[in-house]
Amino acid sequence: MDPSEVEFLAEREIVKIIPNFSLDKIYLIGGDLGPFNPGMPVDVPLWLALNLKQRQKCRIVPPEWMDVDKLEEIRELERKEDAFTPVPSPYYMELTKLLLNHASDNIPKADDIRTLVKDIWDTRIAKLRLSADSFISQQEAHAKLDSLTLMEINTTRSFLLESLNCMYKLRSNLQPHSSRGKALDY
Amino acid sequence: MPCERKPMRYGHSEGHTDVCFDDSGKFLVTCGSDGDVRIWESLEDDDPKSISVGEKAYSLALKRGKLVTAASNNTVQIHTFPDGDPDGILTRFTTHATHVCFNASGSRVAAGSSDFMVKVVEVADSSQQKTFRGHDAPVLSVTFDPKDEFLASASCDGSVVVWNIEEQTQITSWPLLQKSNDVSNAKSLCRLAWQPGSAKFLAIPVETKVLLYERDTWSHVSTLTDDLITQPINVVAWSQCGKFLAAGSVGGLLTVWDVETKLCLERQKHEKGFTVCGLAWHPSGNQLAYTDTEGCLGMLDGLSPSTAGTTKATQAAPSEAKEYDDLFDDDDDDRVLDEGASDTRSPSKNARVAGAGEDEDDDLMPATGRVRNRAAFLEDDNSRDAGSLKLGVDEFAEDDDAGSTTAPLSAQAAPPRPLYHGPMPTPPQKAFQPGSTPAHLMHRFMMWNSVGIVRGYNDDQDNAIDVEFHDTSVHHAIHLTNSLGHSVVDLSQEAVLLACPGTEELASKLQCLHFASWDTNKEWLVDLPLGEDVRAVCLGQGWAAAATSAQLLRLFSIGGVQRELLSLPGAVVCMAAHGEQLLLAYHRGTGFDGEQALGVQLLQLGLRKRQVIHGEPLPLSRRSHLSWLGFTAEGTPCYTDSEGVVRLLNRSLGNTWVPVCNTRDSCKGKSDHYWVVGVHEHPQQLRCIPCKGSRFPPTLPRPAVAVLPFKLPLCQTATEKGLMEEQYWRSALLHNHYDFLSSSGYEVDEEGQSQSQKEQQELLMKMFALSCKLDREVRCVELAELMTQSVVTLAIRYASRSRRMALAQRLSELALEKANQLQGEEPEEEEEEQYSSARRNSGRRQGEQSSSRHHSTRETQEEEEEEEEEEEEEESQDGQMDTEEAAGNRRQGLNPFAKGATLSPEKPSLNPVSKEGRVNPFKVSGAGKSPGSSGQPRVTSILDSMSSSSRKPSPLLGSGGKQGRTTVLKPLAPRAKTKTQSTLLHMTAPKAANKKSLEEKEPAVDRLRKPEAPPPASPENVENNKPKTGFQLWLEENRKSILAERPDLEETGVIKEAMGRFRTLSADDRTSWTERAKGQCGEAVEQKKRKREEEERRAEGNTQNEAEEEEGSAKKKKSSDPSAKLSAFAFNKN
Repeated sequence: MDPSEVEFLAEREIVKIIPNFSLDKIYLIGGDLGPFNPGMPVDVPLWLALNLKQRQKCRIVPPEWMDVDKLEEIRELERKEDAFTPVPSPYYMELTKLLLNHASDNIPKADDIRTLVKDIWDTRIAKLRLSADSFISQQEAHAKLDSLTLMEINTTRSFLLESLNCMYKLRSNLQPHSSRGKALDY
Repeated sequence: MPCERKPMRYGHSEGHTDVCFDDSGKFLVTCGSDGDVRIWESLEDDDPKSISVGEKAYSLALKRGKLVTAASNNTVQIHTFPDGDPDGILTRFTTHATHVCFNASGSRVAAGSSDFMVKVVEVADSSQQKTFRGHDAPVLSVTFDPKDEFLASASCDGSVVVWNIEEQTQITSWPLLQKSNDVSNAKSLCRLAWQPGSAKFLAIPVETKVLLYERDTWSHVSTLTDDLITQPINVVAWSQCGKFLAAGSVGGLLTVWDVETKLCLERQKHEKGFTVCGLAWHPSGNQLAYTDTEGCLGMLDGLSPSTAGTTKATQAAPSEAKEYDDLFDDDDDDRVLDEGASDTRSPSKNARVAGAGEDEDDDLMPATGRVRNRAAFLEDDNSRDAGSLKLGVDEFAEDDDAGSTTAPLSAQAAPPRPLYHGPMPTPPQKAFQPGSTPAHLMHRFMMWNSVGIVRGYNDDQDNAIDVEFHDTSVHHAIHLTNSLGHSVVDLSQEAVLLACPGTEELASKLQCLHFASWDTNKEWLVDLPLGEDVRAVCLGQGWAAAATSAQLLRLFSIGGVQRELLSLPGAVVCMAAHGEQLLLAYHRGTGFDGEQALGVQLLQLGLRKRQVIHGEPLPLSRRSHLSWLGFTAEGTPCYTDSEGVVRLLNRSLGNTWVPVCNTRDSCKGKSDHYWVVGVHEHPQQLRCIPCKGSRFPPTLPRPAVAVLPFKLPLCQTATEKGLMEEQYWRSALLHNHYDFLSSSGYEVDEEGQSQSQKEQQELLMKMFALSCKLDREVRCVELAELMTQSVVTLAIRYASRSRRMALAQRLSELALEKANQLQGEEPEEEEEEQYSSARRNSGRRQGEQSSSRHHSTRETQEEEEEEEEEEEEEESQDGQMDTEEAAGNRRQGLNPFAKGATLSPEKPSLNPVSKEGRVNPFKVSGAGKSPGSSGQPRVTSILDSMSSSSRKPSPLLGSGGKQGRTTVLKPLAPRAKTKTQSTLLHMTAPKAANKKSLEEKEPAVDRLRKPEAPPPASPENVENNKPKTGFQLWLEENRKSILAERPDLEETGVIKEAMGRFRTLSADDRTSWTERAKGQCGEAVEQKKRKREEEERRAEGNTQNEAEEEEGSAKKKKSSDPSAKLSAFAFNKN
């Protein structure tokens, strides 16, 4: 999967906005949205929130976890634990990126949040690489990784699968050869 | 005279403390966990002398100029006193000492330590030590026998041991205490005390009692207790004379007993309830100093004269009875005066045996003392509320009116007569703008209402005002430099009204930015007469009002023309406006003991000017002030007090106020509050901003609005009954605004009205069923009295089905009564919207007739053309609707409240969009249809909107006719609402909508029956929004069979066939069908009536024509419309 596809999926996440216009409920395939009352918070999917924001029709209320204190806590936990810790949102990276790119004026301490989320991301990716490494070096058949997000899986999936295939091929080539060698020895 | 508890003061940092007096009683010495020993000349000593003895000081003892302390460096040190020079180390332990004490002569020091040992050291020669081993846990406390023979110690191992000092042996040991592993874990410090002088008793605090053990026999002779002591006693101390014993407990209770009589002389509670851990008598015996674990030092003064010897004790007895009386008098005074600040309870005071003369002398002193306390208390109260009280009008404080506000304050500050015991006046609340934060803030909200937000900045570089609109289509944001120093602001859909207080040269000004003005002058400015300041402003629809310090209410038109002027009965507190209503709160008089005496006026400033509420008292919660005043979006007056209770005007009960919500119930923390910004009745919403730890929100970060539900404080809302009762009365209360709106010529959202009526009736029915189940027949009848006639019939059926004949009998009488009443009322209520059954007869018919005239010519055409004609008709309907909408827009122009797009320039452009936009391909109902039937979705939506939009003109016409087309105002509900509801129907009842679209085509026959049909609503139809007739219901069930029998029929044919069959049914069956349908026949019926006459004719001809029609339809089927059939299947599927 492409990162842009994951981002597309992330755009279905619900965020709160404060519209500055008035509109009735709108009926969409994905469900009803609204009604929109100026000044009253309403839940909409991210894609609509961003669209409205770009047209300056709303203010986006940052998600609860998008807060410096909370993210710091998560970061510390992530650094402390060996396993992956649960993330505040399954699309935390995409949400942060999209919101900070398009609505950084509505998010207090946007820069700090960007750094923190990047830190968390880096820590997790490092863990992921590490576990992939030990997975391969110990030649395990399967491994279980909890609370990975889609985006994180996608960063490693294509490469990991390819390389596993490759290694399998190499190993299976190696095996007959050595056995043949052994046979020759006899 | 009770002893006086002096105010506490901070001595040390938090942690264990100890206290003692020096021999002369001149100094008070304390030590604490900050490692300092402080020498106080008196309790009021602001600069006590400090001696640092270590990191922590655990205990101290003082005698003959030697200060012995147990410090954290495991030593027991000596300092000279009062100089505080170190004088060497007395002894060391392996851990820190817990308690030190001197013997009576001051020659020896005993120290107990956490290393289980007790040591006795000669002060003069620290090499002479005696060590007492035997405890199995840290030593809690030690005390010397005054005769220097014995030593007592208490330990965490639970034992209290008496040692012989010379022989260093245990004499006796009592397992009295609870075991623990460390001093810090011990429940009590168990400070022992040996009676001075005679040395007869050893006092041991055990749990909540003090046990007295007799010397030599070592037997337990008596126990001192008191009912008030509920927590373990920490310390005991004998007065110097050995007659009184004081004890301090964990909960902060101080008790003094007379040991001989075992009477409790004095009980005092620590003012904050902290644990008392140090206790010392003044050598004279009339003062008791104590310290707590929070490092505070306190003192009880005037306990007993030092000479309180045995001789005086005899005198005490006879006077005791008299004193009891005095005491109770005193106590009463205490209650009233101290307002619970003091817990003084003194059942008996031998302490005061000194004589009546002395009593009287002392009497004056505490009295003044108490008044001083009171003032402090009040001041405290003020400072707490200052933030919210000072809203807006701080600036005005300097002028003449300030006299009235400061007068009561000064009355308190300098008590004219110290002996005045009556209730104290409350400083009157200052004027404020509802929805603003205190004026002293540099960045503050000057107004937050349903239109927008006005923020004021007043810092070094900038003095500015920002106006921001929730709906940007009202106006773009405005930035103003606040050169005039405006302090009160109001904001409406038309204008911003600002006002500033006057200065010495400049008059107070009122400035209005009328941004909705259609000419080029958007602004006007008015100077008030010199010396008159604006206190509060508000903006109504087309007018502005300003209340001034001269107790005048000045009205202006929105363009700046001066209008009415009226005097106010008191100083204004705040104002709010809505449409043509003005709500005003003012000071009715002086409140006492924290109460505010506010009055409220409600004025109607429209064409019919009148006063609705004539200055009645405004009910507030106890000791609270007004914090928000305004109107709901629907126009019902509403306010909030500082206790968070929201009250709403109940117009149906003589303009009384009903508490509808307590915002404090939703608060998580004690200091959290909700800052109300708006109230909506439909939907029921209380819009407010949650403020953590304050009463109002800061401007940054930008606060988010939260919505709270209403909840009437009815009893037992946890039970099903209570819950339903609450729902019913809430619904009934919030229903009132419909009546008000219709009576004052506003447009009413009938959809909402009928919905809430239906909800109420449903709730009544549920409650009825519940009481039936509980065998509460009287209650059933009472509930039935609240029901409409139609629902009563339902109730009768319910009652008879559940075999309650007596109940059913009573109910039917009731129903009859109601029916009679209804008939009596009907002729009078032509124009009035009444409950469901009455609605049929309302003046709405007028509107329908006029529209039916419109169509009648076309309707006479042939039946073959019916299909097209129907289309046409719908189109013309559509057109008519558009004109209505346009008319609506014109009207909306008048009304800036109609929320949302009303004022927006977008609106006209929206209109054509909405026409097509109605056809939403994603609508659930549309999805059920075949794409081929292109007309179908459109028809549905049109019909839906028709039912809602064509209903609109009827009350308008009615009221318009009545008022001669003067002002027909739109309600403050959003214009878009009707659209929402029509589309909502698609979602909630797509099935009904589908059916409608088909059945609309041939609704005539049903209409014939409808008038005959009794009105009662059947329960199964209640959830359906769309009205249906009995025939339609029947058709639903039988369509399949008709189609099966005659698959060749097209849509119209099917219906005709069905009609024929329906007619052949027995009369009983038909009525049963119509009865089933009656709940739905509500509104949609009326608009169809226009066709009635013609349809009647057609229906009559129907039976005769039936045969030939069937033949004809057989031919017609070839050219039949496939879409109709498809939709028929779609319908069947449903």
